[in-house]
Amino acid sequence: MVPQPTANGHASSGKTSYYSQLECSGCGEMFDTDKIHTFCPNCQSPLLVRYDLENVRKHIDRDALRHRPNGMWRWHELLPVKDPKNFIFLGEGDTSLLDLPRIGSELGLRNLFVKDESKNPTGSFKARGLAAAISKAKELGIEKVIIPTAGNAGGAMAAYAARANIKALIYMPKDTPRANIEESRIAGAEVVLVDGLISDAAGMAGEKAKAEGWFDLSTFKEPYRVEGKKIMGYELAETLDWTLPDVIIYPTGGGTGLVGMWKAFEELEALGWLHNIKRPRMVCVQADGCAPVVKAFEEGASFCDFWLNAHTLASGLRVPKSFADALILEILRKSEGIAISVSDPAILEAQRKIGRMEGIFPAPEGAATLTALEKLVEQKWIDPGEKIVLFNTGLGLKYLDSLI
Amino acid sequence: MKNILYIEDNPDNLLLVKRVLTSHGYHVLEARNGFEGLSVAQREDVDLILLDINLPDIDGYEVARRLRSTGKSGLAYVPIIAITANALKGDAEKALEAGCDVYMSKPINIRELWARVEGFVESPQ
Repeated sequence: MVPQPTANGHASSGKTSYYSQLECSGCGEMFDTDKIHTFCPNCQSPLLVRYDLENVRKHIDRDALRHRPNGMWRWHELLPVKDPKNFIFLGEGDTSLLDLPRIGSELGLRNLFVKDESKNPTGSFKARGLAAAISKAKELGIEKVIIPTAGNAGGAMAAYAARANIKALIYMPKDTPRANIEESRIAGAEVVLVDGLISDAAGMAGEKAKAEGWFDLSTFKEPYRVEGKKIMGYELAETLDWTLPDVIIYPTGGGTGLVGMWKAFEELEALGWLHNIKRPRMVCVQADGCAPVVKAFEEGASFCDFWLNAHTLASGLRVPKSFADALILEILRKSEGIAISVSDPAILEAQRKIGRMEGIFPAPEGAATLTALEKLVEQKWIDPGEKIVLFNTGLGLKYLDSLI
Repeated sequence: MKNILYIEDNPDNLLLVKRVLTSHGYHVLEARNGFEGLSVAQREDVDLILLDINLPDIDGYEVARRLRSTGKSGLAYVPIIAITANALKGDAEKALEAGCDVYMSKPINIRELWARVEGFVESPQ
């Protein structure tokens, strides 16, 4: 069932979305919200959705949103889809925020949590972004979509495209976890396996899109995936009784979730929905074998260099350069956060530890956040009483090939 | 005046980049293929080269190799920013091996391009 806009309490003003403007994150130029857009044609930076937050504030009671049917779309006023008939819903959103009592105790931390995104459809956080992007694509009349992917985004796009009756074409590295390849095919997508990395897949998908008119859903090359991801930030605030944690530790490949959550915090602050306006320190976690953000952060650079010979078993972290690198670096600095890289053996060890001690089988990318946390505790970058949220971005079961 | 040579066969990219660089006070020299690019680099006093890899005659790697082995005083050390239409396998590695200093893939983020150009050649404005 698709959750329809409801009027519980003061939750609805009858308006499905308060999407008002589309703004270039680089040069600030505004674009028509009812037309199909990719990225800024002038400066080629990502475009970001802006909402009429003044009217959301006037008409929406944040506490009444809890009473809507579960899922990402209960935040529909703050999402870009204007007609509820276009919500493509598979159950995404409202994932658990679980405490990690045993690991917390071992590390001397009193408030350690994990946002477990493996509960999403297709077993990863990618469902959120693709739910928003495919729904908006449907609304804009797009009939065929293409994506380069390290794995989970392809599976998610295939599932949502199938439900929206949109044709899907996926380019993924040939060593992508088998689960991602098969789930995409099962959902009816055409899958092209590429001898290379996601950047190679992006190159080929880009050429195909240009030649045959496929709409490219690459990270940040369209404006709506980040909107789905940002709801992770809204859910966090709501679950923590409209406060924000002190530290968020997030595995960063393309960085949509990091940028999305920061956007959510800005919107929440503008809406006046938060009790504390102190933003979390954002921690970007990458792998030693592909750490462009870590390098740029440490060098004080505004953009990342393309990472040569990228390699890590955490396929979601094998992104040699994010299209949103400037935004990611800006957020890390604004939040007084940090970027940190971890080794593959440590990721595997953390994966087992989270399973053994807390009963959660995380994706390698999610496990990487625990390794990063351990380093930060050792460096005394984190205080024992701080509220810390790790992000497990996917289901470990999808990566059985990487267990050695 | 700081001269930037842009070797690129795509007129849209040429126009976009030229507009941005000119607005920051740089003088942009254009070349539409590899051989023309080499010829302009030999003839003019160039401070920086933006080099598309997918050119219609010799590819950008070969252009970079020839620039690096040129006899013209100083030209072998002029910074080269390589730009490819798509980040295909090994492109970045090949560009750096051929003698380029920086690798970027399209779409070119103009803010990044500007920052990288300024990193090598200070804006006249």
